[in-house]
Amino acid sequence: MKSGLKGDTLLSGIRILDLADEKASFCSKILADLGAAVIKVEPPGGDAARNRGPFAGNNAHPEESLSFLYNNINKRGITLDIEHRRGREIFLRLAEKSEVVVETFQPGYLDGLKLGFDVLSRVNPGLVLLSVTGFGQSGPRKNFKTCDSVASAYGGQMVTAGLPAKAPLKPYGDQSYHIASLYGAIAILIARRKQIRTGVGEHIDISIQEAVTSTLEHQMIRYFYEKAVSRRQGSLHWNNLFCILPCRDGFIQITLFHQWETLVEWMAAEGMAEDLQDAHWADETFRLKHVGHVIEVLQRWTEKHTTRELFELGQLMHFPWAPVVAPEAVLKCPQHKSRGFFVDIDGCGGKRSLKVPRLPYIFSSHTVDRCRRAPLAGEDNAEIYVGELGFTREDLDRLSVDQVI
Amino acid sequence: MKNRMLGHLRIIDFTRVLAGPYASRILADFGAEVIKIESRQIRRAAGAYRGNYDNHWNRNKRSVTLDLGRQEAREIVRLLISASDVVIENFSPRVMFNWGLDYEKIKAVRADIIMVSLSGMGQTGPWKDYVAFGSTIQALSGLTYLTAYDKNQPIGVGYSHADLVGGLYGALAVLTAVEYRERTGRGQHIDLSEYEALCTTIGPAFLDIMANSGEIVPDGSPGGTDAAAPHGCYPCRGDDRWCVIAVFSQEDWAALCRAMGRPSWADDPKFNTFQKRRKRKKELDRIIAKWTAARPPEKIVRLLQASGVSAGVVQNAEDVAHDPQLRSRGFFVPLTHPRRGDSVTERSPVRMGREAATHWKSAPSLGEDNEYVFGELLGFTRDQLSAYIKKGVVF
Repeated sequence: MKSGLKGDTLLSGIRILDLADEKASFCSKILADLGAAVIKVEPPGGDAARNRGPFAGNNAHPEESLSFLYNNINKRGITLDIEHRRGREIFLRLAEKSEVVVETFQPGYLDGLKLGFDVLSRVNPGLVLLSVTGFGQSGPRKNFKTCDSVASAYGGQMVTAGLPAKAPLKPYGDQSYHIASLYGAIAILIARRKQIRTGVGEHIDISIQEAVTSTLEHQMIRYFYEKAVSRRQGSLHWNNLFCILPCRDGFIQITLFHQWETLVEWMAAEGMAEDLQDAHWADETFRLKHVGHVIEVLQRWTEKHTTRELFELGQLMHFPWAPVVAPEAVLKCPQHKSRGFFVDIDGCGGKRSLKVPRLPYIFSSHTVDRCRRAPLAGEDNAEIYVGELGFTREDLDRLSVDQVI
Repeated sequence: MKNRMLGHLRIIDFTRVLAGPYASRILADFGAEVIKIESRQIRRAAGAYRGNYDNHWNRNKRSVTLDLGRQEAREIVRLLISASDVVIENFSPRVMFNWGLDYEKIKAVRADIIMVSLSGMGQTGPWKDYVAFGSTIQALSGLTYLTAYDKNQPIGVGYSHADLVGGLYGALAVLTAVEYRERTGRGQHIDLSEYEALCTTIGPAFLDIMANSGEIVPDGSPGGTDAAAPHGCYPCRGDDRWCVIAVFSQEDWAALCRAMGRPSWADDPKFNTFQKRRKRKKELDRIIAKWTAARPPEKIVRLLQASGVSAGVVQNAEDVAHDPQLRSRGFFVPLTHPRRGDSVTERSPVRMGREAATHWKSAPSLGEDNEYVFGELLGFTRDQLSAYIKKGVVF
């Protein structure tokens, strides 16, 4: 087994063909981390997602893409032109031997190649096909182009991030893709129960927009129950209970959710509670209505402290506060170190030592302390076409010359 | 018909607030029998997350009441566990242990039990007892720092995004362990850290720092290091109306120039490569913003999408609730609560085949399923149950 899980893995026995681009390559990455046998199927020349940054050495070369590396860890890689007649036949042979196919093409594309769910199920009735697209397989926007910011915007995620006077901010990274990918992985394992029990597969349709809307926390609930529409208000959350305040050396994320009395006592002990000890501030409704004043007083106090003081002392008193840190600091975090969260990547060669976050789990059944880097385009062609599908070396050369692989 | 794909799975649910309930809701939506243990202690800790939020996050679940402060209640929990497949909880690490319901103990009750413990920092490590809400974790992970206009004023996402990510990983943990148990007969404990969960969503940023020994400075642009330029969020006509536009290719660029009525710019040597457009980002953003500001976002997006350019409307909750795309897919479904009346909930974004869920049960009222669970499942007589109620073990 190529993943960090040795021998019998959590998901042994699940083979996944991954046709997905950056929209859902994280989906089968998660399942590969859990020990599924994932084969990345790229068009000859490689997946366009290899052109996405950031790049190692800031060198915009397809083999140096760090986002591609991250999203394709623990997978094996082959090249195959599924638009080519013979490529299509080979894909069907692979699908026959697989449990799952993951794809992110525009709706109807696979049908056009006669590789739609009906065709795949004829070849392999148990097959689960996961389609992850911007807006799903149906509806007036099904053919719209998407990207992480389009999904975030339409899904309702961006509108609450940012300052009222400025443009909405998109949550950093590919949050929409990651949420859709997590839902995809969950969907596959749900469909898997039926696959095992009945031998019948499923076509799963995930809309990235819907996945985002499903994770908005308060927004839709507030609207449906109170007709309230949340807007941006800087770091202050919609409920006025969370905000970020400056300290001597940085910023602290605080909440006013719990333990008001303890907080006021703490500030008073340092002579900085001002009028917050007055009885009317003890009433939460009053406090939240006049939260501006509370924050002003708190800020005069936090500015006298370091983030570390407030974090450590606060946590001793069970305040769920934390410093706002840059990602550099996360790499050095003692909690992550203690739990071995960043693991080594095998196969990157001696030129650099990179580590990646493992999945956020410690299993009692398996230990994970390393992973395999993403495959180069077509790296495992021989192993899979010759070793597993029974092609000869000559067949392989011919397919290569004909640009099928 | 309610989707029954997970109909064989019984889950004992100790979760509260958001991350844990979201995890078990995902499974309940597919027919898993999720039995929420409502103890006085759990309800106190949940605080403001009752009411409408409770209805939303606990739909399709069952509810029993038990005062876990009492030994007899914990005995009943052990009986329940012996008749179940999964235990899921999101307390601080010490709580289940103090109740004698930690994995070592419940494994003795049922050897193949699956237990998922979802906590802020995980069950081990120097920070294991730290208390954390979603925003705490967002601050610690780098997400809040990176979601900002510049590095001098961190802003963040504006809500507890990390809890939802933690919940998704929680549901995935259960399903993974179920798959493993089905094949091997073995249960297990999964220690899930929400802090780690959120960090997995910014993996490439960590790799960037390690590989390039650099820092990442937030600049408010949605693309980050994406392969699009221009790529931004632009003001449109109307009150707080915005759109996003991402130009990934030369064809996209030409289409945007045509849409803006400047077709000759497509080949203008100032802008005709990705590198040049990225370098002149500020200048381009100003030009585009001037064009978008005079038009409603829907019109801009329709125009650009017709030429295959990635563009989208920044929607607020009201827009989302009336979104024709979501409406056409029946994304919002009625949810009727016996006391709260009619409302709406979003369906699961996991859609498959004919077994699609169309009927949704509102969150259970407190102890709604006491009779079913204690009577039918555990076989208590009416007298036994009344005795427990009298003693306050069941309330």
